Amino acid sequence: MGFEIKRFQGDVDEELICPICSGVLEDPLQAPACEHAFCRACITEWISRQPTCPVDRQAVTASQLRPVPRILRNLLSRLCTSCDNAPHGCNAVLKLDSLASHLVECEYNPKRPMPCEAGCGLVIPKDELAEHNCVRELRALIATHQGKLNDYEQELAEQRLVINEHKRELALLKEFMRAMRLSNPSMRALADQMEREEVVRWANSLSRARVTRWGGMISTPDDVLQMMIKRSLSESGCPPHIIDDLMENCHERRWPPGLSSLETRQNNRRLYEKYVCKRVPGKQAVLVLHCDNTHVDEHMMVEPGLVMIFAHGIE
Amino acid sequence: MANIAAKRIKREFKEVMKSEEVAGGSIKLELINDSWTELQGEIAGPPDTPYEGGTFLLEIKVPETYPFNPPKIRFMTKIWHPNVSSVTGAICLDILKDQWAAALTLRTVLLSIQALLSAAEPNDPQDAVVAKQYREDIRLFNLTASHWTNVYAGGPTVIWEFNQKVQVLIDMGIDEDQARVALSTFEWEIERATEHLFS
Repeated sequence: MGFEIKRFQGDVDEELICPICSGVLEDPLQAPACEHAFCRACITEWISRQPTCPVDRQAVTASQLRPVPRILRNLLSRLCTSCDNAPHGCNAVLKLDSLASHLVECEYNPKRPMPCEAGCGLVIPKDELAEHNCVRELRALIATHQGKLNDYEQELAEQRLVINEHKRELALLKEFMRAMRLSNPSMRALADQMEREEVVRWANSLSRARVTRWGGMISTPDDVLQMMIKRSLSESGCPPHIIDDLMENCHERRWPPGLSSLETRQNNRRLYEKYVCKRVPGKQAVLVLHCDNTHVDEHMMVEPGLVMIFAHGIE
Repeated sequence: MANIAAKRIKREFKEVMKSEEVAGGSIKLELINDSWTELQGEIAGPPDTPYEGGTFLLEIKVPETYPFNPPKIRFMTKIWHPNVSSVTGAICLDILKDQWAAALTLRTVLLSIQALLSAAEPNDPQDAVVAKQYREDIRLFNLTASHWTNVYAGGPTVIWEFNQKVQVLIDMGIDEDQARVALSTFEWEIERATEHLFS
């Protein structure tokens, strides 16, 4: 929609007036054949109702509209207008093409964002600054945040409820599966088979790791370290039925006879190189899974595998 | 009212006021309220037509969405014309409907309505009865239109015969406007008009 004609100094030529809004052309476009010019907003609105030129009714579509010739743009940009904020005291008289940049910084703009200097740190429109009350505004802010917090808490409670329901259902399903496994031998075989395959699939998805310093092995990791490794295993997709067993096997008290003490470990050092190790993603630890290491001597291996945590030296 | 509509109407009002048609007395425009949404137009019957010498008032209502939609205009003065309803004053004119264009103004619309009085379109009628008479008996149509112009729009041509016939029906206790519509519809034959009114 165009500029109010009264804002301009002197007479404005009829050619620079939008036939739709009867204001001075703003961001004008013209029809392709007849070259009648309109404000972009005005002609877009009109064409959305009727695809014709509003002056001579020639067919026009929105995509056919084009920018007006340079001479028309120049004539428009040379017009002198008062500022939008003239009613608020701005006396500036500007060329139309510099109006936009002036408006950005016009200090008479009643909506100019101003930081509150009383210390609350909020940025407020200038015309609201006089009425501004830091305590009230901050209270309102707290109130909205409190509201959001309450919403989140409620959502959390609802989610907990859903999770509990899922847990119950899961427990029931597990119980059911266990019963099936016990009562039906072929089912047991099938389930075992599925579990084994799952472990193999997971093992294949992990990348190979090379241990450069076997001496860096931590044979008695503490609970924090174990928890960290367990989380990483879980994130890598470790089948849940072996994760606890695996984590048990990260401590020398559960390691096989060939690894169970410093002495046996030293004796069997040369056998380490036979291990096929998999990387625990992102951690200085390796998995020595039974399914990857069927070639290793029995006294060096346990089911379902070993977790070996290192201080350093994993590639 | 939307800013753009008020702005346009203000400007168009000035345009009409400055126009030579107003200076020559052939059209007039008046504001009805302060919000620029209702106006009253006035057009003079064009010369060499049965409407010559008459003054016709028009009701103009400007919608919120003006100028993207046309103004709503109807005749407040009764008129006998194929494209104007003799009952409601509704006008059948393409530019007030699907041929409206945003660059048209109150001035151009008033002039178009005036032009419609000089050049009726009996094939696109608003009033089928009038249009039929226009096509079948143009002489009688012209007389009837002159008579209506005389009675309702202050036209100079008095047709005594028609006045007398209307008076006959009024004496029977019939409303004057109803009597005139009935007689105009039935070729000014008193018997057919009364038969229609009393059936």
